[in-house]
Amino acid sequence: MGMPITVDVRDPHADPAALDAVFAELRHLDELFSPFKSESAVTRINDGRLALADAPVLVHEVLALCADYERRTRGFFSPWHAGHLDPSGLVKGWALARASAILDARGHRDYFVDGAGDVWASGHRAPGAPWRVGIRHPVERDKVVRVVLASDLAVATSGTYEKGDHIYDPHTGRPATALLSLTVTGPGIVDADVFATAAFAMGDGALEFIEAQPGHEAYAIDRELRGRWTTGFEALCER
Amino acid sequence: MRRALSALAVTVIGVVWIVTFRVTPVPVDASSQLSPSQPTARTTAPRQPVPTQPAGTTTSGQGGDGSYTGSKIRTVYGDVQVKVTVSGNKITDVQPLVLPSDRARSAYISQVAGPMLRTEAITAQSSSIDIISGATYTSIAYKRSLDSALKQAHLG
Repeated sequence: MGMPITVDVRDPHADPAALDAVFAELRHLDELFSPFKSESAVTRINDGRLALADAPVLVHEVLALCADYERRTRGFFSPWHAGHLDPSGLVKGWALARASAILDARGHRDYFVDGAGDVWASGHRAPGAPWRVGIRHPVERDKVVRVVLASDLAVATSGTYEKGDHIYDPHTGRPATALLSLTVTGPGIVDADVFATAAFAMGDGALEFIEAQPGHEAYAIDRELRGRWTTGFEALCER
Repeated sequence: MRRALSALAVTVIGVVWIVTFRVTPVPVDASSQLSPSQPTARTTAPRQPVPTQPAGTTTSGQGGDGSYTGSKIRTVYGDVQVKVTVSGNKITDVQPLVLPSDRARSAYISQVAGPMLRTEAITAQSSSIDIISGATYTSIAYKRSLDSALKQAHLG
């Protein structure tokens, strides 16, 4: 997967063992799903060394979720690209959700988990203060364009910088190019992350798709560096 | 309490999920760069030190502050090459120099479908924030080029 993960727990009695458990889980998931590891289940499936029927139960869980999202996004989310299985687009948000579940189960409340810029912000950064999540400027990368005030909110961004297209429209097999960046917010990190990926591939139809998803909002930046947003997005932002 | 797995433990907060590439592709530590007064202590010890890249790596030889250009990596989509900027033994930016060209782009431009919602020219802000949400590169070629640039910087 090759992504940086940050966990920041603000609960006064934060438990280091909880973070050990979180990172042990993330490592375990990476062993299963990384397309870059020669012995991961995903790699062995693609090599023909592992039959789907013999794959671990978590792989089947992920594939079932992928199939569900493929349907809900009218095929714009797909774990298949050029004949190869790559469920990374789902696994990232799903892994963050599992990390969050570990923290929740141990009684943690105020924390965030951040996987390569996709965020689940639980509770508050400080009493009464929501987490401040900046949406990265797609060109001036040390700056942000909006600040989302997040409390029990997922914020996921899909996109590309300059010419670095890397999300493919599964219907055409070509890179999606209408947008530079699409940020989706919602009550769950898996939905937000997958919807961000799928809607980015939809291009100009992205905001309409998100508008139709209950509880979700979006902010899109197009190639002319114009921002557009869904009707409820502004209310989430710092003014 | 903040913790992460990090290859560059003293500089970058993050876990690298693959062994072959030891450096996070995200050069920005959002909290330390944009919000210097973090109220919580930060764990800087590496959770899982990478033997070839110990914490507290110091620059020497040709390493040090400056920019380092990685190797050009060929992919089926085109060449990939990145430049890393290092300051004070920290990665301060990773810029793509060469990325695959986009053959399909022109077909997509100005296909504005559906209702236009509100529109604005985006403005770059330097806000005090906790987290940055933004797309990151995850391609192998990108990491290979990044890796070679960091080796030159004595950070890889």
